[in-house]
Amino acid sequence: MTVNANQLAAEPASVSMGFPVTVGWTQAAMAVYSVLRLNTPVNLKMLIEMHGALLIDFRHHAFSWSTPLEQFPVDAVHTRLETEPTSADAPPYFELPGHDLDGLLWEMGINSFGGAAAYWLPPDERYKLTRWPNLTRHTHNLRQMKMMAVLGNTYASTAELAALAGVEEPEAQRLINALSLMRILSRSSVAPAAAVATETAAAKRQSLFGRLRKRLGR
Amino acid sequence: MAEHVILFTGPMGAGKTTAVQSLSEIEVVRTEANNSERHIADKATTTVALDYGEILIDGEEKVRLYGIPGQKRFDFMWAILKKRAKGMILLVNSDAPDPIGQMLSFIDDFRELYDRGGVVVGVSRADVVAGPTLGDFSDALERTNPGLVIPVFTVDPRDRDQMEDVLLALIANIEMRAMFGLTTAGAL
Amino acid sequence: MSPGLHTQPAVVNAASALLAEMKDASSSLTYAALLTDDGFDVARLPGQTDGARFAGMASSMQALGDAVAHELKIGNSEYIIIASGKGYVVQLRVPGQELVLSGLFDNDATVGNALAISRSFAQKMAELLK
Repeated sequence: MTVNANQLAAEPASVSMGFPVTVGWTQAAMAVYSVLRLNTPVNLKMLIEMHGALLIDFRHHAFSWSTPLEQFPVDAVHTRLETEPTSADAPPYFELPGHDLDGLLWEMGINSFGGAAAYWLPPDERYKLTRWPNLTRHTHNLRQMKMMAVLGNTYASTAELAALAGVEEPEAQRLINALSLMRILSRSSVAPAAAVATETAAAKRQSLFGRLRKRLGR
Repeated sequence: MAEHVILFTGPMGAGKTTAVQSLSEIEVVRTEANNSERHIADKATTTVALDYGEILIDGEEKVRLYGIPGQKRFDFMWAILKKRAKGMILLVNSDAPDPIGQMLSFIDDFRELYDRGGVVVGVSRADVVAGPTLGDFSDALERTNPGLVIPVFTVDPRDRDQMEDVLLALIANIEMRAMFGLTTAGAL
Repeated sequence: MSPGLHTQPAVVNAASALLAEMKDASSSLTYAALLTDDGFDVARLPGQTDGARFAGMASSMQALGDAVAHELKIGNSEYIIIASGKGYVVQLRVPGQELVLSGLFDNDATVGNALAISRSFAQKMAELLK
């Protein structure tokens, strides 16, 4: 009886999440959020139509993908998503360094849940940044920058954030989702609303930020 | 003419002069002298008084960009330049021996600019060397200055787009902090 | 690039000797220093001034003088004078060297005298280092 060496050195059982074919990133974001929350060592592989496989090595906070984030496919068709357990001392999932996972989490978060709250965010909470994302590395717009300036300095609900930054609520929610997925958002059900020291409308009119961005052609 | 003064701080060799040049619409006024200390920083020249650049918003308003000399022996210039400034961009070099220590030292020395307006930290050459991570910088800030949420970005001071992002993030922060009554200055 | 002039003993000794001579030549000279373009103290007359700090400040002044002259398109800044009620600071570059000579004269000297002395000793320093 011969023994197949391959069978002896079987790969650890990977777990497909019974993943239906989906369009968009919401399901993927939910899967990633679960992994991040549970913090068990796993690798994650996503098969995406018309793109190479997306591999995530959570232990090393990195991902590997042939598609650059500047070309992030918002309506990607996911055909498969599987996790594979690993251990603290197992080799990396792919050749490191790969890309910083934060970049992917940002794009996934912004482009999930269609402008509604991520499923893991309960209602009636206020949010505050615990740290800024690395903006020079993430494709962002200046409305998002303004929102982060709010959240960096006070607790705000989605509605309050939208009002303070002068944006529509869905756009504010997308940012909240992304920051939450990136785990740089503090959540509170007791923090009070921001105390606005100067009259908001007047402040908006006088905003140097607005004038400077116009001048810089952005 | 309404004026807004932004300071570029940080140790020698972090890219302050370069950053001012990337943003300035005028030819930058520089005060460079040949560097006597090539063994400490491998640069031919060093700023001995200040760098000065401008962004003209319209005929009535400008942003003045001042780069400080990085060495502590010029801290009398820091005192002079601090007085006029609304906020600062603190640049540190990832491959310096102790960039986190340098950052904390400048945050301390220029604490009043944080109180009065705001600070953004830019880490240069982060792609070139495996230095501390941005998380390490943020952790250090939180440890020593609890409650401060200071943006920390990687940055290439030669890159105009990136420097614009850094400057806009600083201005956005200063204005929001003023709006929430967190600063000691009035609205911009 | 050679190590800083402030670290070269021969230069430091020559500079110290020169400043002592300058003091002998001018009774109204109350303080003087030679410093590198980037603000290091090479030699100074004894006094209550923080020599290291003064060197930094003098180099900043020199560089700002150059920047102003450049901005106004009037050539190089040849010397800088700070006049106050109690005396004059006169400073200028040592020709051909990355060194600045800075002297504080009390009101017994006229500005013209102070300048003449300073120029002459800056020139002497240049010759010593050739």
